[in-house]
Amino acid sequence: MNFYEHTLITKQDLSTPELNNIEKKYKDIITNTEGKVIKVEKWGLLSFAKKIRAYNKGFYIHYKFEAENKTLNEIKRNSIIDGSLLRHLTVKYKKLDTETEYFKENNEKKKQ
Amino acid sequence: MKRRNNKLNKRPQNPLNKLSLFQKTDSRFSKKCPLSGKGAPVIDYKNIKLLKRYVSDTDKIMPSRITSVSQNKQRKLTSEIKKAKILGFI
Repeated sequence: MNFYEHTLITKQDLSTPELNNIEKKYKDIITNTEGKVIKVEKWGLLSFAKKIRAYNKGFYIHYKFEAENKTLNEIKRNSIIDGSLLRHLTVKYKKLDTETEYFKENNEKKKQ
Repeated sequence: MKRRNNKLNKRPQNPLNKLSLFQKTDSRFSKKCPLSGKGAPVIDYKNIKLLKRYVSDTDKIMPSRITSVSQNKQRKLTSEIKKAKILGFI
């Protein structure tokens, strides 16, 4: 079992129930394939540096989990097929840092 | 035996004192690496504020001879910057 981080970028024009469905879908994929979700972070709507497939903004969802190779293949396969996703990235870690959140301040400022 | 670092101990010479244009100046870049040592910031693809310092205006990775980052950390920086580019941060 290794530690991984996975981030998704969804399209800009999705409603909140659709976003929650996507978040739940990938959470279920990890748990169904004997993985363990440690933390889920929602970074909210962020703007890109450059256009990605004619979109200027996107919703970011970030997972921290512990799993084996089987779940990685499943996540990769699903996110390629998924039409509502723009990009995805998985990174392997020896130790997970669950405390520091780099995107927390941006979200709080917007709410105020 | 201690190895002496002669290059760093040399006094910087005024570049105008050169005899010819092709003569190399003695003054060396002796700045320390800003990313190694105690209390150094973590290089991570989510830490965009730090990564943006090491990227030019046209989103190219800055060479270490300008930023004086050590070779080990420069290798980490490039891989993290490339990850950030995939996610559209830079």
